Amino acid sequence: MKTLKFGLRLWITITSTISFLVGWIMLAHAPKPSPLLLPASNTASLPTLEPLPPLSGPGSDDHSLQSQPLFGVQPSFRPSSRPSFTTGGS
Amino acid sequence: MIRSIEFRAMNTPVMLAAEGEHAIEGMYAAKLFIDDCEQRFSRFLPASELSELNRSAGEWMQISDGLMEMLQQSLKFYKETDRLFDPSILPDLKQAGYDHSMDEIRTRGVRAPSTASKPTPRPAFDEIDFDLPEHKVRLPRGMQIDLGGIAKGWIVDRAAHLLHTYAEVCAVSAGGDILFMGQPSDGMNWDVYLEDPRNTTTSLLQLHIPSGAVATSSVMKRTWMQAGKVRHHLIDPRTGEPAATDWISMTVIAPDILIAEVYAKALLIAGKKGLPELLRTRPELIFIAVDPEGNLSGAPHWKDYIYELTSDIRLSHESTR
Repeated sequence: MKTLKFGLRLWITITSTISFLVGWIMLAHAPKPSPLLLPASNTASLPTLEPLPPLSGPGSDDHSLQSQPLFGVQPSFRPSSRPSFTTGGS
Repeated sequence: MIRSIEFRAMNTPVMLAAEGEHAIEGMYAAKLFIDDCEQRFSRFLPASELSELNRSAGEWMQISDGLMEMLQQSLKFYKETDRLFDPSILPDLKQAGYDHSMDEIRTRGVRAPSTASKPTPRPAFDEIDFDLPEHKVRLPRGMQIDLGGIAKGWIVDRAAHLLHTYAEVCAVSAGGDILFMGQPSDGMNWDVYLEDPRNTTTSLLQLHIPSGAVATSSVMKRTWMQAGKVRHHLIDPRTGEPAATDWISMTVIAPDILIAEVYAKALLIAGKKGLPELLRTRPELIFIAVDPEGNLSGAPHWKDYIYELTSDIRLSHESTR
C-alpha cells in the first residue's frame, strides 16, 4: 500500500512536470498575434482627382461653359485613332 | 489622332469624336449641352419644357429658341412628307403602350390598350399657332406632341456644331443618328457599320462616309408586347397604329441630319408604294432599305458608300425608284 501511494505520487509529479514543460515550449514557439487595426485617421488618404482644366479656346456664344468642371459619371475616354460608328435606329 | 468619348443620354448610346488640340474640351462641352437638352426636351420628364408645353394645350406658352426651332422644322417636314412625319401622334404612342421610357418598359412591361371608344378626331399638327416675335406657341386643345427622333436629330446637329467650334474635324452620334463634320486628317472617310436589324450584335456592311449625316429608322429596335401582340414605336399617322412596313429598317445618308432622320422614318412608313411620291421632293437622298429576309436595296449610287460587306447578304440590283 505504501509502495502504491509512492508510485502514484511519483507518476502524477512526472506527468505534471512534463505537461508543464511541453506547454511552456509550445507557447514559446507559437506565432506572434497580428497587431490591432489602426483607426481610420491613420490610413493613407485616397488620391484626389484633379479637376478638369477650365474650358478655353474658341468656345461659342450661349453654349460656352467657361471654367465649369465636369460632374457626374465620367464618360469613358478612348484615344482610339479610328472610332467606329454604328447606325441601326434606337 | 481622333479622340472619342461614349456615354448614355436620351435613353440611347452617345459617342462624340473629335480631332485637334481642343478636342477633349469640345467633347465635354458638347456632352454638357446634350445632357441639358435631355432635361428640356424629354417627354418622360414631367418638369421638361416639352411636358409643360403638352400640359398647356389650348394656351399660349413662351418657349425657348431650341424648342421653337424644333417645332418650326417639324411643321416644315410635316407638310413636306404629306403628314407621314407627324409629331402629334403622342396619344397613339401611349395607346400602343409607349407611355414610359424604353428602359422602364423593358423592366415593367406595358399596360393593355384602352378599350374605351376612340376619342373625337384630334387637331392636325399644322393647326399649331406661332407668335414668333413673342417666342410663343399655342398647341390646339387636344394636341399632344412627341418630338422623339427630330429632337434627337436637332440635338446631334447643335452638339456637332458646338463641337466644331473647338475641332474642325468632329462627329456626334446618338442612337444611330450621326453627323460628321470635316474629314479626318489621315485622308480616310468615317467608318459607319450598318447594324443588322434582325440581330443588333452583328452588322450587314461597312459604309465610308466623307462627311454629312446618316440616320436609321427600325421597327425592330424598340419593341414590346401588348395584349399578346408585338408593338413598335414607329406610328403610322394615317392609321394611328404601329406601321406595317415592307422593310424592317431604313438608312438615309444626307447632308443634313434632320433630313436624314425625318426621311428615314417617313420612307420606312411609306413603303414601296409611297416611296416614289415621297422622293419627288428629295431626289438627291441616298437610302438603304433592309427587308425581313436581310436583303438590301436602295437608291441609285447607294453602293458607292459601301466599303465592305460584313455578312452574307444579298444586294438588290434593282433600283427602288
